[in-house]
Amino acid sequence: MTFFEELSRACGPGALLQDPALIAPYVTDWRGTFTGRALAVVRPASVNEVAEIVRVCAQNRVAVVPQGGNTGLAVGATPLDAGDAVVLSLVRLNRIRDLDADGFTISVDAGCVLADVRERASQAGRLFPLSLAAEGSAQIGGLISTNAGGTSVVRYGTMRAQVLGLEVVLADGTRLDGMRALRKDNAGYDWKQLFIGAEGTLGIVTGAVLKLVPKPRFVATALLGIDRLQDAVRAFGVLQHMLGETLSAFEFFPQRAVALRLAHEPALAPPMGERAWYLLVEASSALALDDAFETALAETLDGGCAADAVVATDSNRRHELWMWRESITEHERRAGPSAKHDVSVAISQVPAFVIEATAAVEARFSGARVLAFGHIGDGNVHFNVLLPADGSIPREDVTAVVHAMVRQYGGSITAEHGIGRYRREDLLAQRSPGEMALMRAVKRALDPSGVMNPGAVFS
Amino acid sequence: MKIVVTVKLVPDPNAEKRIDTSTKRLVRTGVETVLNPYDEYALEAALQLKEKAGGDTTVTVFAMAPESLKETLRKALAMGADDAVLLSDPALEGSDVWATSYAMSHALKKIGFDLLIVGGLSDDGSTGATPGALAEYLQTPLVTNVRKADAEGNSLKLERETDTGYQTVAAPLPCAITTALTFGEPRYASLKGIMGAKKKTIAPLTVGDLGLDREVGVSGSKTALLAANPPAARGKGQVVEAADGATGAKAIFDFLKERKLV
Repeated sequence: MTFFEELSRACGPGALLQDPALIAPYVTDWRGTFTGRALAVVRPASVNEVAEIVRVCAQNRVAVVPQGGNTGLAVGATPLDAGDAVVLSLVRLNRIRDLDADGFTISVDAGCVLADVRERASQAGRLFPLSLAAEGSAQIGGLISTNAGGTSVVRYGTMRAQVLGLEVVLADGTRLDGMRALRKDNAGYDWKQLFIGAEGTLGIVTGAVLKLVPKPRFVATALLGIDRLQDAVRAFGVLQHMLGETLSAFEFFPQRAVALRLAHEPALAPPMGERAWYLLVEASSALALDDAFETALAETLDGGCAADAVVATDSNRRHELWMWRESITEHERRAGPSAKHDVSVAISQVPAFVIEATAAVEARFSGARVLAFGHIGDGNVHFNVLLPADGSIPREDVTAVVHAMVRQYGGSITAEHGIGRYRREDLLAQRSPGEMALMRAVKRALDPSGVMNPGAVFS
Repeated sequence: MKIVVTVKLVPDPNAEKRIDTSTKRLVRTGVETVLNPYDEYALEAALQLKEKAGGDTTVTVFAMAPESLKETLRKALAMGADDAVLLSDPALEGSDVWATSYAMSHALKKIGFDLLIVGGLSDDGSTGATPGALAEYLQTPLVTNVRKADAEGNSLKLERETDTGYQTVAAPLPCAITTALTFGEPRYASLKGIMGAKKKTIAPLTVGDLGLDREVGVSGSKTALLAANPPAARGKGQVVEAADGATGAKAIFDFLKERKLV
C-alpha cells in the first residue's frame, strides 16, 4: 500500500486533498506573505482519525503540519517550500462535546471556532473570556498551541489560564486523554502545560476542557482620546484604581489607524475629534457599572490624562467602537506589505518604547510608517511597520531594528503570536543557550524523529 | 427654531428576543432597552441643524414609553438634545399605530414644534406607518427619506433620497421629515454629554394631560395581533472551497444562477 493509500484509509478518501487548487488555501498563511507546498492536506473528523494519520506519517517519516483556522500571524501552520509535509487541518473536528453550566466548564474539539464557543457559552449564561479579532475563524486548538492572548488578557489571562484539561495526539500517534475538568489537580507533572504554546511541535491538540466564567450582566465601553502616549499609562493607573477587577480591556491605537480605516471606508464618521492616540476601555461586572464607570472616566479627564471621551450607549455602539480596534489588522493588510512585530515590554515602558522605536525606524527607513497598537493593559504592542509596495525596504532590516530596541527594553519579541517560522531566527537572541538546550531536549523527548511541525519554533 | 425628535425605546436589536405566546408581546425582561437605531439618525439630523442654525434653536426629544424606561431616554440627552418629554400611561399599553400616533400627535401639539423629525422605521415594530400617521393627525407637510437638510428663513431646503438618485425639495415650517440612514452616522455620547444629561429635564406627560376625545390602548386600537411566529430555522449553509477568490466567486455565482436567483 502506498503512503497516500494508507492516509486515505486513515481518514477516508473524502478527507484527503491532493488537487493543488484545493490545497492552495492551506499552504498560504493568513497574510498571504508565505506560500509553501505540501504533499497533501488531510481533514480528519475524529480524534481516532487524527491519531491514525499521525501514526501513518510517523511510520513513513513524513512531517505533519497541524493547522487550525489558519489565522496565525507567525507562519506556524504553513509548511515550507520543500513540499514534503502533510497539512493536518482540524477544521472538521469541530464538535462542542459538553457544556457544564454549573461546573463552569466547556469541553470542545480542537477545531471548534472561538466565536462558536463564545456563543455557546453565552447561550448558557456563561462567558468564555478569550476574545480576539480573528475569533470568527480562529480555532481552539490553534489558540491553545499559540497560547493566544487577545483583548481581555488584562482581566482573564491568556489561553493558558483558560485550559483545565487537554487531549493530544503524540508524534507517534498515541492518544493522550487528559480531558479533566478539575480546578485543582497536583497528581504528577502537569504535562498539558507543555503543549500549550508549543505551536504543534510536540503533538497535536485534539480537544480541551476550558474554564467559563459567569456572563457579566453589565458591560460599559468607552473610547478615550489622548494627546500623548505617556498619558495612557496614567489613565490605566486611574482606571485600575477606580474600576478594580472590573476593567476587562485597555487597548490603544494611533490616529494613523483611524485614518487608514477612513481611507478604506470613507462613508464612516470618525468616533471623535482627532487625537494623537485612542484608548478603548471596557469594564464588565455582575453589578451595575454606569456610575462607577462614568466617574472613573471623568477622573481621567479631570486628572488631565485624557483629552476627550465618548461612551457606547448600547450594544451597537459598543460593537462599532470595538471595530476601530479590531479592524486594524484587516486594513493594514489592505494597505500593502508590512513588517509585523508582536512585542511586549513592562506596562510602564510601553510609551517610551513606542516613541523611541518609532523614531528609530522612521529615521532609518524613509517611506516606512509605523502603526503601533495593542494591549497597554498587558504591555503588548503590535509594532507593525507599513512598507512601500516596491519591496525597497527589506523586512528583516526593519525587524532587526525593532527587536534590538525590544532587547534594550528587556522585552519579548513575541508576546502572543508565537515564534512560528516567522521569528525562529530571532528566538536564539531571545533565549539563553541553556534555555534553548532545555527546549530542544523537550522536543527530542516528545518527537524524536522530528515529524511534528518541523521548521516551526526551531530552525 | 424648535426641533422635536420622536424617539422610540426598543429592545436591543442585537439581543435574542422572545414573544410571550399568551400576551403576544415581546418579553422585555433581561433585554436592554436602547434608542431605536433609526431615531438616532433623526436625532443626529436635529443636532446638525442646531449646530448650523445656532441662535435659539433647541432640540427636544419626545418618547411614548413606560416610565421605567426613563433613563434610556437620557441617552438622547447625552448625545446633545436640550430636554425631553416622556409620555407614560398604563392606558397606552397595547396601542397600535392608529392609537399610538393619535396619542403622540396630541402630545406633540402640546409640546409645539417648528420642525418634527421622525425616524423612518422602528426596529421592533417595523411598520414604518407612524411618521405618515403623525403628519396626518398634525395636518403638517411630511417629507420622507431626507438625507440632507438646511434651514432657509422660514422654510427648509431638503434632499430626499429615491431609488434613482435624490430630489431637492422645499418645505415650509412647521413641517415633519423622516431621515434616511445616509444623513450621517449618529454621534457618540461624549462623557461631558453624559454628565450634562444628568441635569437635563425629562418632563412627564400622562394621557390625562392630552385632552383626548377617544380611547387609546388595546380598546382604542383598530388592529389586533392574531399570532406571532418565530422565523423558520435556517438550514445549514453550504461552504464553497476554492483555490482563490475568483474561482470561489464563480462557484457561488453558478450556484445562484442554477437556482435562478441572479
